[in-house]
Amino acid sequence: MLTEFATVLVFIVLGAATVALMLGVSRLLQPRNPTAVKLSTYECGEVPFGSSWVQFNIRFYVIALIFIIFDVEVALLYPWAVVFQRLGLLAFVEAFIFIVILLAGLAYLWKEGDLDWVRTMQETPPRKGER
Amino acid sequence: MFLGNLESLKYFLPELAITATILLLVAAHVASKNRRSAAPALLSLAGVGASLLLVGLLPGGPGTSLFEGMVALDGFAVFFKALTALATIVVVAMSMDSAELKDKSQAEYYIFLLSVLLGMFLLAAATDIVMLYLSLELVSIPSYLLAGYLKGRARSTEASMKYVVYGATASGVMIYGFSLLFGLTGTTHIGEIGRGLALGKATLPMFLAAAMVTVGFGYKIAAVPFHMWSPDVYEGAPTPVTAFLSVGPKAAGFAVLVRFFYTVFATPDAAAGMWKFSSVDWPLLFAVLSAVTMTVGNLVAINQKNVKRLLAYSSIAHAGYMLMGFVLLTPVGLRAILFYLVVYLFMNLGAFYVVILVANGTRSEEISDYSGLGSRAPFAAVALSVFLFALTGIPPFSGFIGKVYLFAEVINRGVYWLAVVAALNSVVSLYYYARIVKVMFLEDPRESAVLPVPAFPRAMLCLLVLPTLVLGVYWEPVIRVAADSVKLLAF
Amino acid sequence: MTGPADLIFYFVAALTVASAILVATLPNIIYSAVALLFSFAGVAGLYVFVSADFLAATQVLVYVGGILILILFAVFLSNRISTVKISNPVHFNWQAALLCLALFGVLSYTAVSTKFPVKPGLSYQPTTAEIGELLMTRYLLPFEVASVLLLAALIGAALLSRPEGEKERSADMEEPK
Repeated sequence: MLTEFATVLVFIVLGAATVALMLGVSRLLQPRNPTAVKLSTYECGEVPFGSSWVQFNIRFYVIALIFIIFDVEVALLYPWAVVFQRLGLLAFVEAFIFIVILLAGLAYLWKEGDLDWVRTMQETPPRKGER
Repeated sequence: MFLGNLESLKYFLPELAITATILLLVAAHVASKNRRSAAPALLSLAGVGASLLLVGLLPGGPGTSLFEGMVALDGFAVFFKALTALATIVVVAMSMDSAELKDKSQAEYYIFLLSVLLGMFLLAAATDIVMLYLSLELVSIPSYLLAGYLKGRARSTEASMKYVVYGATASGVMIYGFSLLFGLTGTTHIGEIGRGLALGKATLPMFLAAAMVTVGFGYKIAAVPFHMWSPDVYEGAPTPVTAFLSVGPKAAGFAVLVRFFYTVFATPDAAAGMWKFSSVDWPLLFAVLSAVTMTVGNLVAINQKNVKRLLAYSSIAHAGYMLMGFVLLTPVGLRAILFYLVVYLFMNLGAFYVVILVANGTRSEEISDYSGLGSRAPFAAVALSVFLFALTGIPPFSGFIGKVYLFAEVINRGVYWLAVVAALNSVVSLYYYARIVKVMFLEDPRESAVLPVPAFPRAMLCLLVLPTLVLGVYWEPVIRVAADSVKLLAF
Repeated sequence: MTGPADLIFYFVAALTVASAILVATLPNIIYSAVALLFSFAGVAGLYVFVSADFLAATQVLVYVGGILILILFAVFLSNRISTVKISNPVHFNWQAALLCLALFGVLSYTAVSTKFPVKPGLSYQPTTAEIGELLMTRYLLPFEVASVLLLAALIGAALLSRPEGEKERSADMEEPK
């Protein structure tokens, strides 16, 4: 098994070396003639304005949170998938229960609109009791 | 003998009922249009009630091991399942009356509450450190969410935040301790761990593991010095949640503390109830923990101006009293803990119920706003006085009997200094409990308007006052149940 | 274990510890987050060395691929993000340092001095299938309980992070940048 992970190591080392090589060679060969305009941030030809540190929309965060939960679910289901054929129906039922419980969560998210990325200004009228 | 997964299911009906209720709550929320309807509350009442009935049908006795040794089915587990389910029912009733929670979405609240209950059921029964850790997190994580349920209120968010940070640290320390035990014995089953640790001297890793595991459990029962989170969490959380946290998870914390130490660190012939590893003076360590917990809780409570904060510190002190029964790990001491937990459930939930009712009317939890409550809402004021005197441990009330049993065991075993400390603490606690009573009855009201107490909470308060009074004069059946429940599954 | 493998082990361990120290000491919180990436990846590497291949994969999947992104988003969310200079001030507190050093001493002494029973003949076999089988048999109950825990966490995460109230809601309506 360790030898299989050696492949991963070689991959990482080669990747790092390639990046270092390309940046290094470019550094050695490039002519350097910096001006204020050249050093400014490239924004598709526009004159850049404002700070690059803007506050993110909270929706990214919500999505990331939801992603992690399902990420963990996948991590737990992966070992099941490996032995699923050997263990047969019982294991299928066991994993089925696991997934159904989490599907309830997905239904909740769907209903609450946490999964909608584009929201129109004219949203459906809020539910009774919603603030 | 371990029962397999399929055969265990028929002893697992209470837990299945709760899980089904959780799923039903999600489904009902997805299907319904009204966020604030009382349906989720009623559904959870029905679910928890059904599960309490199913708990009643479980066989107690010496017990069996379910789910390949993951959880135990014994009198001890059944006792704690009944206790926590009862506490949850009262808390659901409280939550329906609470003005704080009225304009919040309801279903999620009850989903979290029932998740904690499921966690407590499993925690009281867990006999495997994987199961134990997972159920502890199942108690903790929804508790964090409940503490922060009033999203718009800064205090509630702060409470949730502090709870998460302390909880994560305590869990981390505890699981490091588990890893040491696993490394020493190569198994995750606590019975096998107990057998695997050789008799005789406690080695350094064993001592470290015990200390680290105590951090995790001590955090749940809010024992000093792991109590730092509790005043802020208790003050910031919605009051029904505070009431719930001060009774439910604390009881479950005691359950797991007792089961873990009893199985891993006590002698196999548990009747003697002696600590196994002689080179460390375990009784002294836990006696000091108990004494420090009650003293700090009581001394800090004296200066509190907010009722919820005061009750938070008082609940720390009560954890200290209950630890007295744990010091010697004898069955008689454990029986005293179980009995005290029953008594504590009624008196503490009752006190918080009155706090909710008063806050509904006055929008305040400051002690000074309780002035003249005796004339504004006589019924609530009298009920609160009963609960507070019971918490102090004054004779005609149930708290006194609870304390007598706790004291008796410590004195019988010759740990006199602890009994003296506890007696002094009771005197200190009389001061701050009686102060509230004094404010209620002897000070002039700031407003004279009558605070209405509707019929339903009135009936609930009666149901909580009644056991507090009755257990003070006729406690025989309950102490017998507690004595029967000390039969832990032995390995 | 052969020479090169030992060498790689020490390299990975050093990487993990050094980046963890950087996480705590770097003044810019974004840099800290990036250092955390290397620390997480280093831990995954260490798992490989103790023959826990599934754990290593999970570490990469959940921590590097999930938790770290979440942390970065949380950093980007904070509304004082423009003042990154003050984002992660380092306070040296000698009491805390002393306590940590003492704890480190005790824990490492325990780990080194204890004779943990070791299974003879450590073999580097894939563990995933074995874990899968255990999850479906002996550890079935924890497996199913985990799904209830995940359900509660999912609903709670969505509930608490969802914008609420008029102002927040209208801000949320804007197209995310």
